[in-house]
Amino acid sequence: MSPERALLREVVRRRARPLVVGCSASMVHQTCEALVPLAIGLSIDHAVSGGAPSTILVAVAGILVLFTLLATCGGLAYWMLSVSVQREAHALRVQAAGRVLADPSAGQHRTAGELMAILTSDTTALAGILPALSLIVSGIAGLGVTVFVLVRVDLALGLGLVVMVPLLMIGVERIGPWLERKVAAQQQTGGLAAALAAELVSALRTIHGFGGTREATRRYRAASRVSLRAAGEAATASSVVAGVGLLATATVVVVTAAVAAGMALSGRISIGEFVTVVAMASFVAEPVQRIATGVQQTAVCRASAARLIPLTSGGVTESTSLDNLVPIARLPGLDVDLRPGEMLGVVTADQATAQDLSEALRTAARPGLLVEPPHAYLLGGTIQEALNTGRDVPQEWTQLSLTAAEAHTIQSESLLDGGINLSGGQRQRLALARALAADPPVLVLTDPLSAVDAVTEDAVAQKLRELRSHHTTVVVTTSPPLLMSCDRVVFLNGYPAPAIASHDRLMQRPDYRKVVLR
Amino acid sequence: MSVLPVASGRQTWRGLCRSALSHPGDLAAAVVWTLTASIGVVVVPVLLGRCVDAVRVGSSSDLPLLLPALVITALLGAVLTALAQRSTARLGAQIAADIREQALTAALDLDPGLLEPAGSGDVTSRVTEDVETFVAAIPLVAAVSTAGSTLLVAVTAVAGLDWRLALAFVVVLPFYAFGLSRYLPRSGPLYAQERRASAERGRVLLESLHGRPTVAAYGMADLQTRRVEEASGHSLELRVRTIGLSLWLTKSMNAAEAAGLSTILLTGYWLVHDDVVSVGAVTAAALLFHRLFDPLGTLLNSFDQVQRAGAALARIIGVALVPARQYVDAPPPQGAVALHVSQVRHSYDGVHDVVADIDLEVPAGSSLALVGTSGAGKSTLAGILTGMFPPTGGTAVLTDGRTRLTVAEVAPAQLRDWIALVSQETHVFSGTLRDDVAFAAPGRTDNEIRESLNRVGALGWVTALPAGLDTRVGPGGQHLSPVQDQQLALARIVLRDPPVVVMDEATAEAGSAGARDLEHAATALLSGRTAIVVAHRLSQARVCDRIAVMDHGRVVEIGSHEELLTMGGRYARLWTAWSRTSKPPARQ
Repeated sequence: MSPERALLREVVRRRARPLVVGCSASMVHQTCEALVPLAIGLSIDHAVSGGAPSTILVAVAGILVLFTLLATCGGLAYWMLSVSVQREAHALRVQAAGRVLADPSAGQHRTAGELMAILTSDTTALAGILPALSLIVSGIAGLGVTVFVLVRVDLALGLGLVVMVPLLMIGVERIGPWLERKVAAQQQTGGLAAALAAELVSALRTIHGFGGTREATRRYRAASRVSLRAAGEAATASSVVAGVGLLATATVVVVTAAVAAGMALSGRISIGEFVTVVAMASFVAEPVQRIATGVQQTAVCRASAARLIPLTSGGVTESTSLDNLVPIARLPGLDVDLRPGEMLGVVTADQATAQDLSEALRTAARPGLLVEPPHAYLLGGTIQEALNTGRDVPQEWTQLSLTAAEAHTIQSESLLDGGINLSGGQRQRLALARALAADPPVLVLTDPLSAVDAVTEDAVAQKLRELRSHHTTVVVTTSPPLLMSCDRVVFLNGYPAPAIASHDRLMQRPDYRKVVLR
Repeated sequence: MSVLPVASGRQTWRGLCRSALSHPGDLAAAVVWTLTASIGVVVVPVLLGRCVDAVRVGSSSDLPLLLPALVITALLGAVLTALAQRSTARLGAQIAADIREQALTAALDLDPGLLEPAGSGDVTSRVTEDVETFVAAIPLVAAVSTAGSTLLVAVTAVAGLDWRLALAFVVVLPFYAFGLSRYLPRSGPLYAQERRASAERGRVLLESLHGRPTVAAYGMADLQTRRVEEASGHSLELRVRTIGLSLWLTKSMNAAEAAGLSTILLTGYWLVHDDVVSVGAVTAAALLFHRLFDPLGTLLNSFDQVQRAGAALARIIGVALVPARQYVDAPPPQGAVALHVSQVRHSYDGVHDVVADIDLEVPAGSSLALVGTSGAGKSTLAGILTGMFPPTGGTAVLTDGRTRLTVAEVAPAQLRDWIALVSQETHVFSGTLRDDVAFAAPGRTDNEIRESLNRVGALGWVTALPAGLDTRVGPGGQHLSPVQDQQLALARIVLRDPPVVVMDEATAEAGSAGARDLEHAATALLSGRTAIVVAHRLSQARVCDRIAVMDHGRVVEIGSHEELLTMGGRYARLWTAWSRTSKPPARQ
């Protein structure tokens, strides 16, 4: 079984109850719909065509009863299925978002815009499997009733339809994969255009800075036109599939009408039966159409499932809980024993070493270790939310952390898009406060104050030392105020064995001075 | 907080029509195919009614004519319906492409100063999710137009049989009117609310996706997932309410169908009884009405989705409704350019001035550093000088000796030939490295691109990449260091080659190890240009011809490095804090 099918099956299993209720109601609804032509035929035969006045009243009463049942079941099915789609889309979205957030390898080759499109649109499209199935099931029910009524009228007519309709359905099913490819191409190109739009808007300030708005417009237009071409092809494919379905039904209607007309002429069936047969034959269009639409929608669901699966599969990484207080002797990329309670400075002599170290630290995940990412990014809509990292932190400690990072003076009612409405220095100080509030046994900071002015930098360097006195802190930096606060400084100068000493001692080395002095 | 406008109903409709009319061929095809398809749909039951009469009278003479006509109409109807669907869908796709391109063009022309308070999430959801909602509604719009035209043709056909039979269509009207009068007043606000919740969901999702490194570092996937769940849940709740509302509409639809059908049968009974019409005519009317259940349902149900699509469209078109600033034309600069700033002040909220009383002269070819504590207004000033947003008061003027340009009055595309901004935030665009650099100046040769990379010291590592300029960068591509990111940003400006450059702490996020490399790159970029450098590394400020110290939005000191040190003011204090460690350590 393909993974897409497996995922769709899982969705169906999860929503089994509302699906069964929805499908059953939908089947009753379709049955009633199928019986409407019969009611019309009977009314014409027994009432309109010269019946007593009471007969027409009975006929109308019957029609009203039929419609009451039809409306009730139709409403129930609609409610059940539509709500289930939304609930399931929500569940899939939360599940996939959870996986993407917990597992860095999930969907790493996709841009945020693409992931966003998958999490919002494809989840809903995938949940659309529920109404798609209901369409197919209820279509079959409607078709069954039609065939049953027709067989009662005339065996040959009924059997003829029983043979013709499945053949037509197979024909419609055969062009499904072709449509699926076209729809997938449309979704993909549309997704790429949307991803580009999201990227361009998020980089608006940069683009304005170098005057690239015209080029950005040109690039988006190119992507949009590619998407338009794919949409055009998908429109053709959809209409071909719909046209084939319609042709099939038209053939059924025409052939049935011709045969029935012959039978009515020879007196084998009554006028009312002829009307029923003809009305039924026209109605066959609906259940067949339902089935065709259901098949089409399944194709869309499968295309979406294929896009969602790479996000949901893949190994689950163990959650890195900081509750485990096992001391960490060494850090990846840093060949030095960490001492409890110390503040360790790390100075890299050249860019290559710096990059190796940051790469090693980026992928380091261990209990008790927190490596603050180099680019300060704030999550949440308020400062309060941005400081909350899911740890049980007393209010006073958060306040202390804010003060230590000189971030207590930052006033902002709301944060936008990772804190873009704050200055670089404000963002850095809040990110530092967040790291301090989390209070991990080992905290690794990379250039935590590079966007902060000299006076503030000096003040924060000293408060940082005090606040972290009970835990280990590693600071990768060349900032002298920070390095002066460190107990030891590791100088990674490209030689196998790094130089380790206090900042003051290292300052006697010309190569170290060259790196940290400005 | 300023939020982007949403187009009114009339504006949305006008935008839609304008776009449709700009594709006259597609529009005509859609209208013609839809109309002929409807005729095909309606003629079939009418012919069937004639068959009933022929069979009833027992005259087989009409049948040899009727049956081939029935076959041809039925088959042709199917083909025409498919053609109608295709042409309408294609027209819709055209319109969607036009409108999304207009919206993005408008979004890109927005003042970043206006966009940021709104949050890029709002614009992003408009040009992605709302566009998608609209595109998804296109097949429906195709179905609605077919249904509408079928309904018109059918009413005409039934009235042609006997006008009294057409009464059924009058009977259904009160039902629909009642249903819609309950539905429409509630649905508008509810859908608007639902869209807002959906936009908030988009914001939280996008923030989570951009912040993945942070989420991973803090092991806070659970918390962030809960935040996603909350936002998505709120949007779900509102969506469920909209479903309940549209359910109401469906009910009134069924009632209308029952009433209409009963009316046709009752009228038919009476008319046949009085020998006014034939049984075949009543049959045709009943069959026709029955065939209209679907188109009628499509029409009414579509109010729901059409409203959603309409709300989405109003938001997309709304982006283009931000009043465009009126710009004057600017010729390209001739030679070096000087900058004069007089009495500039700016306030975001209209109450507090973020910068005030700024007067600066930057002679052509000289450099000025802006220093001060975080939040002193340096970045705001940099934004004003580069025309990212107009100041609340005062002017910044550029002059090359012949032309005087007021920065806020010049169109951004032309302004960038004069002055460019390198901001704190860097962005590497998805695509090849060549495309990334050439973004600032499209159509340059590879040699020119290499030369600009060389100037900022990036040619070495670029050449070392396996695919060179063809290397894919950005999300999902080759991973670059922050220094490399910023080097690419600088290379873009070198390629664009404006005479004035403003750097807003452009070396800040690079990390200390790379800052020196970037300073070299920045020096290479700035040499021979008029430069304003927002600096927090005082080594950067020191190499500038003059330094302006800002505090609480005002320039408190200005002069050369030596002059300011002699003054012994704020700058002197900053410099002491900064350079303390370059002398023998003062502590211990």
